[in-house]
Amino acid sequence: MSIAVIILALAIGCYAVAVLEGWAVHGRLSLTRPATSALALLGREQILPRTSDRLFFEVGPVLLLVAGLLSVAVIPLAPGLIITDLAIGALFLNAALAYVLVALIMAGWGPNGAYGMVGGWRFLGQFIAYAMLIVMPITAVAMRAESLSTTQIVLSQAALWNIAYQPIGFVLFVIAAMGVAWLPPIDLPTGGGDLAGGVEAEYTGARLAVLRLARLVIIVALAGATVTFYLGGWLGPWLPGWVWTALKTLAVAAGMLALGSRLPRLREAKYLELSWKLGITLALANIFLVGVIALVVPI
Amino acid sequence: MSLATALFLAFFGVAAIWFGVVVFRTHSMVRSAIALLFSQTAIGAMFLVMQAEFLGVLQIMMMATEMSVMAIFMVMFMMDPGGMGKMDMTHQKRLSLWAGGIGLVAALVVIWTAGWQGPAPDVPGADEQARLLGREILGRSMFIFESAALMILTAMIAATMVAIAPQEEDTQ
Repeated sequence: MSIAVIILALAIGCYAVAVLEGWAVHGRLSLTRPATSALALLGREQILPRTSDRLFFEVGPVLLLVAGLLSVAVIPLAPGLIITDLAIGALFLNAALAYVLVALIMAGWGPNGAYGMVGGWRFLGQFIAYAMLIVMPITAVAMRAESLSTTQIVLSQAALWNIAYQPIGFVLFVIAAMGVAWLPPIDLPTGGGDLAGGVEAEYTGARLAVLRLARLVIIVALAGATVTFYLGGWLGPWLPGWVWTALKTLAVAAGMLALGSRLPRLREAKYLELSWKLGITLALANIFLVGVIALVVPI
Repeated sequence: MSLATALFLAFFGVAAIWFGVVVFRTHSMVRSAIALLFSQTAIGAMFLVMQAEFLGVLQIMMMATEMSVMAIFMVMFMMDPGGMGKMDMTHQKRLSLWAGGIGLVAALVVIWTAGWQGPAPDVPGADEQARLLGREILGRSMFIFESAALMILTAMIAATMVAIAPQEEDTQ
């Protein structure tokens, strides 16, 4: 039952994020654009590039979708409304998101095209930048909750949300999450106007539809993870828990999209430099601070 | 161990070996790296079947990133990374056959002669496993982990220094 509810919520969430992304990119709010775009994609001719690595070409988008769906599995919508409440949920989320990298490398390499390949390998560089900034803030979150279970992490924020308890971690996690979902200004693997679509360049029709749907799932999953780790998950007054989770998730996704549409694209080397020299230093400081606060003040 | 557990364990074991074979059968360096990744992922799945949740998920996570990084190095250093030139990249075949054969015999001897105990009667819960692992890493095994970490860090710094072109050349 809860699986069906969560899949339905995920579908609505993906559609809402697609509408928001259209708004951020085109500057005009249209409720029907994602549906018409999807229909157009499904109706279009499906071109198979010559001498492609067919297996990678086909598996890439599907693996991306699977990675996104698996990461959603450990995000609680409300108490008890979760696909699987693993004791190591936060680690599982990381493991699922690691396959975003594998899927994009496969999708980039598969079609045997220069733009796709450059896009795929670029994402590997991008991964080197964001990887530590996903894991280290989660470490601090788990330290406070004394558990890796996502449900326990939400419950640990009953007195004070983590956004107030560990704001440095929140900022780092959101920036890293934008890197995982290759949202502007860190959209290096697709890089519109730069790589002619990058990883998406050689994909058409239904395959491209799967690729784009998978990205929407990943955006929703990361917004949901941000809500779970930093914004108190389902916690909130008056409204039912699932409404709070849904509202907060959409707000985070909208915030990430709005931020991205106002910033120029970051160069790969700059992103790496910022992440390693500044980001990791701050992440270590965050872990230290949270450790000290957790020992001194019991909140 | 129930029949279903045994079947799943066998399935992932065979998958791990099969992907291991694919690593050497394919000509494409990226396919080879990804096949090795799925071989390791199958081993992670075996951990999960044996209810070692933390270790299984950790294995599945770490291998995805490590094998992807390895893939780009294989593409950079190999003459025919896509395998489309049908280049033979094997060498020292006789030596490697002997080494592989001896390794196989040694592994079989260990498997047959080791005193395996039966399956653990009760496995601690996943949260308890994570706690025990944490205590192990920060207790008895701390020195080993810390020295390994220091060695990896040293290797990383040394490799970066070797890779960077000397500054004098840039200024000239």
